[in-house]
This record gives sequence, C-alpha cells and structure tokens, in this order.
Amino acid sequence: MRLKTRYPLIVGLVLVFAYFYAQNGIVATSVSFSAIQLALPLALAAMVGVMCERTGIVNIGIEGTMLISAFTAFFLGAIFKDTVLGVLVGIFTGSMMGLLLALMAISWKMDQIIAGVILNILAAGLTSFLYRQNYSIAGTLSPIEIPILSDIPIAGAILSFHGPITYFGIFIVVALWFALYKTSWGLRSRAVGEYPSSADTAGVSVIKLRYINVTIAGGIGGLAGAYLSLEAVGIFERGFTAGKGFTALAIMIFGRWNPLGAFAAALFFGLAQAVTSQLMIDEVVEIPQQFINILPYVLTIVILAISAGKVRPPAAEGIPYEKEKA
Amino acid sequence: MLKRLAAIAAALSLALFGLAACSSDSATSEADCGSENAFCIGLVTDTGKVDDKSFNQSAWEGAQAGATAVGGFAKYIETVDPKDYATNIGQFAENGYNVIIGVGFLMAEAMSTAAAQYPDIKFIGVDQFQGAAVPNLTGLVFPEDKAGFLAGYLAGQITTSGKTGAVLGTDTVPPVRYFGEGFRNGVAYAANELGKDYPETKLVYHAPDNAFNDPAWGGATAKQMLSQGFDVIFGAGGNTGNGALLQIAQTPGAYCIGVDADQWGTLPEAQPCLVTSAMKLIDKGVAALIEAAKDGSIAGGNFFGEVGLAPYHDFDSKIAQEIKDKVAAITPQVLDGSVPTGVKL
Repeated sequence: MRLKTRYPLIVGLVLVFAYFYAQNGIVATSVSFSAIQLALPLALAAMVGVMCERTGIVNIGIEGTMLISAFTAFFLGAIFKDTVLGVLVGIFTGSMMGLLLALMAISWKMDQIIAGVILNILAAGLTSFLYRQNYSIAGTLSPIEIPILSDIPIAGAILSFHGPITYFGIFIVVALWFALYKTSWGLRSRAVGEYPSSADTAGVSVIKLRYINVTIAGGIGGLAGAYLSLEAVGIFERGFTAGKGFTALAIMIFGRWNPLGAFAAALFFGLAQAVTSQLMIDEVVEIPQQFINILPYVLTIVILAISAGKVRPPAAEGIPYEKEKA
Repeated sequence: MLKRLAAIAAALSLALFGLAACSSDSATSEADCGSENAFCIGLVTDTGKVDDKSFNQSAWEGAQAGATAVGGFAKYIETVDPKDYATNIGQFAENGYNVIIGVGFLMAEAMSTAAAQYPDIKFIGVDQFQGAAVPNLTGLVFPEDKAGFLAGYLAGQITTSGKTGAVLGTDTVPPVRYFGEGFRNGVAYAANELGKDYPETKLVYHAPDNAFNDPAWGGATAKQMLSQGFDVIFGAGGNTGNGALLQIAQTPGAYCIGVDADQWGTLPEAQPCLVTSAMKLIDKGVAALIEAAKDGSIAGGNFFGEVGLAPYHDFDSKIAQEIKDKVAAITPQVLDGSVPTGVKL
C-alpha cells in the first residue's frame, strides 16, 4: 500500500478507536477484538489471492477452497475427536484444491476464471451432497493468553485471547510479506507473475514455481476454512463461507496485491462490520438499520475513492505460460 | 478489470446454480400423482436445505407427518437460487401434485402467481401472510412476536446484569423483526413487573446478504456483546443465530435462547447456555393443513400456527420455581392476546 493510502487509513482507524474509547473502554476494546475475528478469514483468503496472482495465476476459487476445507476439517476433526488433526486436514484439503487449480490452469492451460469456477462448484456440490447432521467436534480451538501482552491495558484486551489460527494467520501474513519482498523466492515469484519469459531466460522454472506457489496458497485457503469451522464457530453448515472468498478478492485489490496492504484492508473491513454492530448495540443514531448495515460497503467505496491511484495487477496474470512461442 | 468483474459475477451465479430433489418412502410413487387415488404433496424449500436444523427441516417433517396421516406421498425440492422458486413450484404442479408447500416469506410472490395459474392445486405458504384471501392459497403464519415476547419475559427474569440482546437475521424478513421486537418488549414487561430499570434490549441485525448463513459474524457479534456485559442473548437467524448461540455456550454464566425449533435437540453444542427456544410449531401446522387439504376443509387466507417456549431441559433445575410459575402464568395470556406484545405487525 502506498503512502497516499496509508495515512488517511491509519488516521481514520485511530480516530474511530479514540471515539469509542472515549465513550466506553470496554466497547472500544471489544469492537477491536471483534474486528480481528471478522478480519482474519478475509485476510487469510486474501493471502491466497495475493500469492496466486503474484505468480500469475488468477484464483477465484478461494470461496470453494475455504468451503471444502472447512468441511473436511470439521468432519474429520469430529470423527476422530481431534481438532488439531482437523486443522491439518483442512490445510491439506486446501492445498489439494490449489494443486487442482494449478493442474487446470498451468498444465492444461485452461481459462483460469473457469478453473476457479470449477473449484467453487465442486466444493459447493460435494459439501452439500456429503453433509450429514449430528456430528460435533470435541470443542473449538481454545483462545490463547499471550503472557506479557495480556497485562498491557488496551492492547492486551484486543490482541490477547485469540485462537491459535488467528496468531498463526497473522504470522503467515508477515512471513508472506517478508518472503515476497526480501527473499530470492519472492523475487522469482514476482518475476514469474510480471514477465515469465525473462524469468525463464534467467533460469527460473516458471511452471514449477507456479505449481508450488498455487499449492501452498491453497493450503492457506484451507487454513482459512479450518478457522471458520474449528475456531470461529465450531460447526459446519453448507455455504456458510457466505461469500468471504469473493470479498477477499476485493480486499486483495484494495491492498494492492501486497500481503500487509491486504491485511490492513481486511482489518478495516472487519472493523467496519464490528462498528456496524456496535452502532446497533448503542443505538447512538436513529437511522434505519438497513442504512447502518451498508456502512462497511460504503466505507470501502469511499476509501477506494480517496486512495484512487494506479492499481495495477501483475502483468502476466491469467495468461498460461508457453515456452518458446513461435 | 471489467473482464474480471464480469467473470466473478458469472462465477457467483454458476456457484449458486444447482438443484436437488428427494422423496420420502411411501407406497405410492410420483408416477401415480394426478390419478384419483393418489395424494401427492410437494415441498419447495427457500434457499435453505431440508436438513437445516430449523425452518425448512421443520416444514419437511410436517409434510412427511401429514403424508403419513392421509396416506399420501411427499417429495421435496431444495431451491438453490431464488430465481428458481417458480420453476420448482411448477415442477410439482405439472406432475399433478395435490398440495404444494412453499417455505419462507421470500417465496410469497411465486406462490401467489402459481396459485392463480393452477386453481385446482392447494397451495400452503409457510410464513406467507395473505393480504387478500385466495381460495386455493393458505398462508401458514405464526405470531412470532408472541414467541419472542415469552422468550424476552423469561430473559428479563433471569438476567442479572440487566443487559439483554438479540443477534438476528435481517429485518427485511418480517418474522425476524417480530421475534426481535417481541423479545425486546417481553424483557421490558418483565423489568416493569420486577420494578427494575433495565436498559432497552439491543437488537443487532445482519446485513440482508447471506443474512441467515453467516455464523462467523453471529459468533463475533455475540462475543462483542458478552464482553460488554450482556448476559442473556437471543439468537434468531438460522445459522447466523446459531453462530451466536455457539459462542455464548463457551462463556460460563451467560444464557442464550434459540429459535424456531427446540434447539436443545437441533443444536446440541449450544446446550451449555440454552435455557429455552422461542418455537414456531411449523411441523404441526403443515401437517394439520395437509389433513385439511385432504378432507377439503382447508380455506384460503391465513392459518395461524402455534408458538411457545421449548422445555428448559437441564436448566429446569437451575431456574427458580417462582420464575417458572410466572412464565407458565403469562404464557396463555400472551398467546390469547390479553397481554399485548406491542409489536407493530
């Protein structure tokens, strides 16, 4: 995210927080806590998009990846009464979805939008068909108290007591940012997404790198699914990803294909949702509830308008790589 | 960019496309429908599934019970996209079904169109209030405000912090609003009776998109309320409400109240907090209307189904006898209207 966007966003967030904190400390901290909870699945899903698109593969199958991973994570976790196993199964399922996308988009050179649609239909159909009632997990992943942090007044109440996937997810965001911009893997990945033929000339295996990245990205999508079914609520319901995988694509663009930018955008969206609920709890404004409900979307449009600049996707995105074109 | 948006839109609509159908075991089969001695009942769900642990499931159970009672045959179609309501209803109509049940407020328009088109078929619209009576279309409606009021009355009795709230689907679906506002007025009634000055019950509605299928939002919102000292929360909004109940179940000392069905059975994970559920006896209403359709006594207009509170189950021993007596005393008065709920319908 460029400086132009960064400052109004940060100032806006601080002002919103200060307003609520001045009113009621517990309200401010619980809204911020909710914001993180609501943002996390969006942030992880956006990471899938960032990682795929940065290497030149468009992935609109994030919704399906999350849904089917949430499904396998929940049911295997329930059958074996082992929630941690469920998370691992979710990550594995997600990476298999990634691999499937890679197979279709890279090897078969299918239209990548259609390949993503296939993932979504596959996930919606399979989970709907295989769904069974009367399964329950031993318990959701329990919140973790972060030692020193939880004693710090405001920050402790906001940042401590989240579940393990939340912390791991934040780690992934930072790690992905570091990897993309500070390692040779990242340089190669970005080169493959911008100008694959020169990357190839420089000795980078375009096909192999795309396969690896899309598969790992799928695993992150699987983690997002496991978050929904095993950490956030502890149930699986058909279609309960509720469009988060599509919202994540907007968040990815909003964050300019940068992991930290996308994370900030997800937090912003989560905060807008939490503030929306808080406005209804406080009843501070006498405006119809439907208008309050559209707030996250209106704010997104406003921020996008303010920060309007040149948003440019990776150049080679969506184009199958063919070696030695005649 | 434009190409991408168009593609995403196409992907969304494709992902929503699909159709599922199934039937209950019975001596008669669909092939007999339309003949003299067969009595066929078709049920079309709203975009929920027939095993959604609440609304559609309850209606389907009623359809099966009704089919058994009249010796008929029942089959359902799960709607995946609201655009298909008319098509799904039409499938049953063209196959000579005697009764077609449409579940949900959102299907009301498609049902009245079909009722005009097929005057010989009896249509039952669950949650579809009929403004003008059509002879072959019966709206099975429920006084949700009364169920919500009773739940609120109980909530007002058992709250210790005095802060009560509801996590709801969207208020663009009237029954959801009736539940919520009934709940709020029930709490106020109890507070008034106890001479307490509780803050007004807070109603938090989801945005209209995915309003009934966003448990993660329901959970986060419930958590937000719990942190702010709320101790009785009503979850009414399909899976969204269920998300709230599950979150509350993890917080010792907080109570939650379920909706539509007795969620003690349909959502056992919520048992640690679930004092009761504000029930709509959809299954009973559907079964009764099917029997009425069979013997010809069914009439157009509205048919009011029963509502009430579910049993307390494990909380039976934890709620003071005095409170239980009060709830038992006010229940008939609320149901017969002598204690008005004050909800504008």
